[in-house]
Amino acid sequence: MRIATDIGGTFTDLVSIDEENGRIVAQKSHTTPPNFEQGVLDVIKKSELSPASMDTFIHGTTTIINALTERKGGKTGLITTKGFRDVLEIARCNRPDLFNLVFHKPEPFIPRYLRQEVAERISYKGEVIEPLNTDDIKSAVTYFKEQDVESIGICYINSYANDEHEQKTAALIKSLWPEVFITTSSTVTREWREYERTSTVALNSYVMPTASSYLNNLSNKLEGIGFKGKSYIMQSNGGTTTFEQAKNAPVNMVESGPVAGVYGAAILGQILGENNLIAFDVGGTTAKCSLIENGEVKVTTEYRIERTDNFAGYPIMAPVVDIVEIGNGGGSIAWIDEAGSLRVGPQSAGALPGPVAYGIGGTKPTTTDACLLTGRLSADNFDHPVDLDAVKMAVVKNVGEPLGLNADDAAMGIIRVAESNMYNALKLISIRRGYDPTEFTMVAFGGGGPMHCAALAKELNIRKIIVPDAASVFAAWGMLMTDLRHDYIRTRISPLAESPVDEINDIWQEMQEQAEKQFSNDGIPASQMICQYYVDMRYIGQEHTVKVSVPTVPLKEEDKEVIKQRFHEAHEQAYTFRLASAAVEIVNYHLVANGGLIRPELRKISPQTGDGEDAKISVRPVCFNEIGWLDTPVYNRYELGSGAKFSGPVVIEEKTSSTVVYPGQNVAVDEYGNLIVTEEGE
Amino acid sequence: MTKKIDSVTLDIVKDSLMAIGNEVFYSFARTSMSPIIYETLDYACGIADSEGRLLTQGNGACGFIGLISPMIQAVIDKFGKDNMKSGDVYLINDPYMGGGSHLSDIGMMMPVFYDGEIIAFLGNKAHWSDVGGMAAGSFTTDSTEVFQEGLRFSGVKLVDAGEICRPLLDMIKANVRFPDSAEGDMWGQIASLRTGSKRIIDLCAKYGHAVVRESMVRLLDQGEILSRKRLLEFPKGSWEAEEFMDDDGHGNPVLIKVKVTITDDEFIADYSGSSPQVVSPINTGYTSLCAGAKIAYMSIIDPELVVNDGVFRPLRIIAEPGSVLQCHAPAPTSCYFESMLYATDVLWRALAPVFPEHLGAGHMLSVCSVVLSGTHQDTGVPFLIVEPTGGGWGASCTKDGEVGQFCVGDGETYNVPVEMAETRYGIRVEEYSLHTDGAGAGTFRGGSGAVRIYRAMSDNQLFTASFGRNKYPAWGTDGGADGSYNYFEIIRANGTHEGPMGITARTVLNKNDIVRMVTCTGGGYGDPHKRDVNRVAWDVRNGYITPEQAKNDYGVDVDPITFEAVRR
Repeated sequence: MRIATDIGGTFTDLVSIDEENGRIVAQKSHTTPPNFEQGVLDVIKKSELSPASMDTFIHGTTTIINALTERKGGKTGLITTKGFRDVLEIARCNRPDLFNLVFHKPEPFIPRYLRQEVAERISYKGEVIEPLNTDDIKSAVTYFKEQDVESIGICYINSYANDEHEQKTAALIKSLWPEVFITTSSTVTREWREYERTSTVALNSYVMPTASSYLNNLSNKLEGIGFKGKSYIMQSNGGTTTFEQAKNAPVNMVESGPVAGVYGAAILGQILGENNLIAFDVGGTTAKCSLIENGEVKVTTEYRIERTDNFAGYPIMAPVVDIVEIGNGGGSIAWIDEAGSLRVGPQSAGALPGPVAYGIGGTKPTTTDACLLTGRLSADNFDHPVDLDAVKMAVVKNVGEPLGLNADDAAMGIIRVAESNMYNALKLISIRRGYDPTEFTMVAFGGGGPMHCAALAKELNIRKIIVPDAASVFAAWGMLMTDLRHDYIRTRISPLAESPVDEINDIWQEMQEQAEKQFSNDGIPASQMICQYYVDMRYIGQEHTVKVSVPTVPLKEEDKEVIKQRFHEAHEQAYTFRLASAAVEIVNYHLVANGGLIRPELRKISPQTGDGEDAKISVRPVCFNEIGWLDTPVYNRYELGSGAKFSGPVVIEEKTSSTVVYPGQNVAVDEYGNLIVTEEGE
Repeated sequence: MTKKIDSVTLDIVKDSLMAIGNEVFYSFARTSMSPIIYETLDYACGIADSEGRLLTQGNGACGFIGLISPMIQAVIDKFGKDNMKSGDVYLINDPYMGGGSHLSDIGMMMPVFYDGEIIAFLGNKAHWSDVGGMAAGSFTTDSTEVFQEGLRFSGVKLVDAGEICRPLLDMIKANVRFPDSAEGDMWGQIASLRTGSKRIIDLCAKYGHAVVRESMVRLLDQGEILSRKRLLEFPKGSWEAEEFMDDDGHGNPVLIKVKVTITDDEFIADYSGSSPQVVSPINTGYTSLCAGAKIAYMSIIDPELVVNDGVFRPLRIIAEPGSVLQCHAPAPTSCYFESMLYATDVLWRALAPVFPEHLGAGHMLSVCSVVLSGTHQDTGVPFLIVEPTGGGWGASCTKDGEVGQFCVGDGETYNVPVEMAETRYGIRVEEYSLHTDGAGAGTFRGGSGAVRIYRAMSDNQLFTASFGRNKYPAWGTDGGADGSYNYFEIIRANGTHEGPMGITARTVLNKNDIVRMVTCTGGGYGDPHKRDVNRVAWDVRNGYITPEQAKNDYGVDVDPITFEAVRR
């Protein structure tokens, strides 16, 4: 049996699949800070699954991102090349908060007195131009011991081209001080740009003690309840890694939860024969979306934590699934700005006080409240009685009166503004990057995804939507389907035309050997490993790159032309033009290695018998944008079999969510229990 | 009869317009061929309504604020809307016309047609690495006339109904030092205008042009409402400040002065009495002066407001024609940002005591621009560095000054990474660190400047730099001490020193010559003797100040080993 557990802000989710019969179990229990592992044990217990029967345990956690944002990591020292200890503090000199002349620059995670310099120098070509001064290292170690440092990061200038000095430094520290945690920049990234690399090292070293104690605790406790299988951690790149590897590079886990849903969308698409997808996930506080092209989840290394419109944030140069996230979820608060415009989010009522409908102290109207007033959600589908008058009052008082709208129009206004924000985010990942949404299928999940997807699909001319079974624990489902994955990225700049294929193949060879070594450490034979090859390319003179997949490795001379053509196409798609006669160059080599997992088969649900009248809960008025109120039949999702079909307007309700289908759209239940919403005539 | 359009729809369209503004901004940076654009984001994109009024502007650099709409208006005035066709693109970089800064900033504008009528204009402006002229990089510190500074376009048609004007392109390419990069940036700018145009047309198709037009009006009106609301809350009165810029390049002081008056419905910045225009290229045209004043205005009105012409309606900026802040042709302007930034700084200084929570003490002020050209030692390929240098910012009533940041005229501007610089340029970076001179003492301390050291790796490199604030320090406020000075010095391979100095043009660097660039620490805020003792100890522990400075400036004894601190 495979089991996935995902720790979120409020709930710890569990989903398991029995490979024998495809049976899926889903369970939720409360998250238990600060001892997060307890929540995992709780949810396993609640699920009544036997730990001894679990072969594979996959885990996603917010522990790492929490330790970073709450500044609860260990005391950390940094070692840099002489003359460069302040790189971490100077950062990139940028100021996103343009007109705020008392802006705040990110304060470094490692203060200046804990940043020590070592005489050494590597050139941009990777040659040693000044030997490593081991005395400097020894005195840094002595100093860090005096300062009670727990973890040391090492980042030297140009180490992306040659990491010999970093490795020697790490080995020396290890021999002098075996207990201390060590991160070299080359273990977390081999890309150029010293600030981003140093920041990645600083953050990684900072959370290493936390990651280590958390994962050790968790494995001990799992062992304690009789678990004997293999355990894996979900990473930000959409794949998994072993606990051991995760302890070395905890920054690779920062986005482990959110990416799982995107990855799940890709897998579900694969099962259903859909390769071009838009994953759309609406939770309590945010909406997230990501584009999947030809079955491939897009990955970037331009990630920053805590970045906002006004704050530069901290870069982590590790592969992260490319997700656009906005502050618009079910709990987002509607408000009127100073100029008299209606706004929704980014402030959220969260779990406490929550939307007014929760009746636990919330007084500010939220998207959830507006969905309730417009019939999208039913008061009967909440865990507790809902005071509809209170909800209506909150909407009228905070939105209706200032704008001169009645309760219905005010509630619809909230939904329209929230959906407009989501629409702009969806455009950002599609139209603005040169993709036509018409050619994509949307996978909508999270509590709010199914509620907003139909209206958004109409706006974007998306012809088909999939609302997966168990949409609200879909991220954990995605985790269940993930494979071991390691990304290797090397910066090595050379014009394509003048790069001998032998040299290119040597680079691939070297990276492949590294991957094989890693996989054999993880217990996967090299023969099972599946590699994909990409290069980041640009026109000579440009800075930013476009990712292009490489047809075969080892490369032959004629493949260079294919790569060049792919680059021209990708550039034109992304930026509307190509420079046909300009020379192109390779900047990064990117190898993605997967463990060749054979995914468990999904179980099919029983076919629908009859016309579905048994599953009908009620007929209630629902307000649709640009149409108004319509009497709308509402069905219970759990009582529908495969093949059930309805025409919009219709609402399909499930626990914690409902799928709203517009007039002119049809909805059908497929053999796995997914809802498929299509435009009439498709 | 027109149906009343509901406010929610107008807001949704308004948000879409702003999203388009963002999109055209970012798409351009990612295609650019010039580091000054893709790293430094020295460019801006904007959308204007059919009258040329700015609706929204994406800025990389603050100094471009509000330059887009005067540029669009200048082209409208010259050609007339009736003579424009769908697909036209116009080129403009004249420093003395609307939207002018220096010749290096190439402006482009495009009318957007819907149903045969102009519904909007798009404009962008970007710093090209080279536009010809006497010096590589086109901006230098010793030009005496605009004719030495490169190609000047006083509004010319570059694309006619979608067809590029080939002879003009050929002429540009024949007159600039990096023709491929210039053409790449040109197409990047055009592509970004075309993308924006397509999005606006889509928006009209979806909501109808009447809704789009009305939401444009709403956007401008809301900007005005908010700024007027703030103005009403402000203290009323007149405040003055003046400063000398270092000099005119020939040892003569240049005065910048302002009298700012706030009334219930106007904010007037009057720069009368500032020095006449000078022979060196530190003159600015009127629109760039306005940009400088608008930065300070935005910071106190509301830094988060959408930049549009509605916000600026209450603002009036006065300068004397022929002065250094409103120069006439053919005064050189390639380092226009020096006087523009002093214009921002005097306004900032005049208002700092009035708005202490928005305006702290003085900062490094100057772009501290560096232009270095030469040949790469390994590849033999010519290179050109055009970059700003980060420095210290002033403290304010709530916090210490920030360290190693670009000046106020920059913004979402990125430094060039050492590893990238060493690969591309014929230099090795010997040091990149904080300049911890301990200046700027105060209850809150000024932020440290930076030290950046370049070693030339080949012969015959040409170094040009303009480090303003070289003679007069960053000012402290409310009892805080002044900060320090920006400067650079050259250490020749044979050990001889040149400098420190603040300005040079095309100084030859040969292999193993070193240039050491140092930026100032910002001014302090408040009495240093009131600084928290633990903070003083922390400053010493981290090497921002010495134990002697703790004792002399702050009256605190800090043990250099244990960092225990006692106020005397």
